Amino acid sequence: MPKDLTVKDASKWFDSRGQQVIALDRASLSLPAGGFGAIIGPSGCGKSTLLRMVADIIAPSAGSILVGNEKPSTARLEHAIGFVFQSATLLPWRTVRENIALPLAIVGRKSKRVARRTPDELIELVSLQGFEDALPAQLSGGMQQRVSIARALVLAPDILLLDEPFGALDEITRQRMNLELLRIWAESSTTALLVTHSIDEAVFMADSVFVMSPRPGRISQVVDVPLPRPRTLQMMSSKIFFDTVNRVREGLYGIDAQGTADLAAGAPAVVQ
Amino acid sequence: MLLLELSKHAGYLPVTLPAPSQVWSALLANPRGIGLALGETTMNAIRGYAVAIVVALGAAFIAAFVAALRPTIYNLGVGLSSIPLIAATPLLALWLGNGPLTRSLIAGLASYFPLLVGAMQGFRAYETNHMELFHVYSASRWRVFRFLILPSSLPYLFTGFKLAAPLAVLGSLTAELTGAENGIGVLMLNALFNFDIKMVWLTVLVACAMSGAGYAIWALIERLTIYWEAPSNSSG
Repeated sequence: MPKDLTVKDASKWFDSRGQQVIALDRASLSLPAGGFGAIIGPSGCGKSTLLRMVADIIAPSAGSILVGNEKPSTARLEHAIGFVFQSATLLPWRTVRENIALPLAIVGRKSKRVARRTPDELIELVSLQGFEDALPAQLSGGMQQRVSIARALVLAPDILLLDEPFGALDEITRQRMNLELLRIWAESSTTALLVTHSIDEAVFMADSVFVMSPRPGRISQVVDVPLPRPRTLQMMSSKIFFDTVNRVREGLYGIDAQGTADLAAGAPAVVQ
Repeated sequence: MLLLELSKHAGYLPVTLPAPSQVWSALLANPRGIGLALGETTMNAIRGYAVAIVVALGAAFIAAFVAALRPTIYNLGVGLSSIPLIAATPLLALWLGNGPLTRSLIAGLASYFPLLVGAMQGFRAYETNHMELFHVYSASRWRVFRFLILPSSLPYLFTGFKLAAPLAVLGSLTAELTGAENGIGVLMLNALFNFDIKMVWLTVLVACAMSGAGYAIWALIERLTIYWEAPSNSSG
């Protein structure tokens, strides 16, 4: 069952040569169960940090994060979290099928988690039929990332976290992967949170876009996307899409609707 | 080879460099004796090598699980490897008798260090994001080892195996020089004292072949075991 996500005043700071560096400053967001959220911001704004805190890869310095009603560490121990890394992170000695089945092998049969999917079912879902026994090195970058998405879904996670999963792919492959990800998400009944640095991607994919600003990293704005589902590529040329993209852009650059920029005042570096 | 043979018959080569056919005839003169010596030296090398593998990999395994012990194990390994073999042999012979046990242990002592270093490096050679993946799935330490650390370490382990095999042969030969009844090292020493040049060459060539074979066997196993290549990383 998909779970909602509540982040309240989550902060993260590091000590660097005696100086305290704030990577994330009191970030709050909430995402309903089964929803699709996107976090967007320039490099170094702490968006990956936030995602990794939800996955319990790193712990917040302050604040609280709840997946459903549980702490991330509990959710992780229950295998309720699926994570897709920036790089596909496949084990090179395991075939496509074996890589997808890896979480099953790690968790073992004793796990209480009953909601599972078979690797073959997922191979079909991510359209990799015929490549079951291929090794990762034989696959293109896009195919590798599909394997990694299938792997993240094999334990039927309650929440799926995606850290710039298509950042390294070319624009065309990326657009296709996005459409597929939406289809997979719709079929998988899971909450999804996507980190990206592409405005178009964030608006096209998500119900809510969380706009972040750097130094210190914080969520500066939440933009709701009033586009219906299922999303289609045609929607990307609709007025609603443009308006939403502009609102996200305003949030990112501090540019007003007329386009007069305030870059001289030390606004964040332009991304994309 | 042919050039050597012809040069020898033409009288161009010094007395210390025999023709290949002369070395070959030394082998034919006593194949059984050479075979027995070869068996003796090889068995000691293999026994010592096997012990070295068990000890080195065991120590590296412990170091991989108990990070606090890692420097101790490493320093102990370095310390042990700095003992000159030629000095350790008489001591071990005094304590354990001048038998196969001592010579096997010397072979082990000679070969464990690359095994230890290879395994200790190999067990830390996994990629960080792979480890994070295993963390997200709350993998047990044993499963992390089995599914990630061990396969990631194989290239390092094989490097250790390959480097250590000739060293085990070297250790086995060295141990024979301080007094053994049989072995290639014994034949070599006797031949040297008797100025039996053909025999010196024969034993040297046999020793080289043993070392080379040890390396080659592991190189072959490595090729058969590591069937994958690191995938081209899709993240720039």
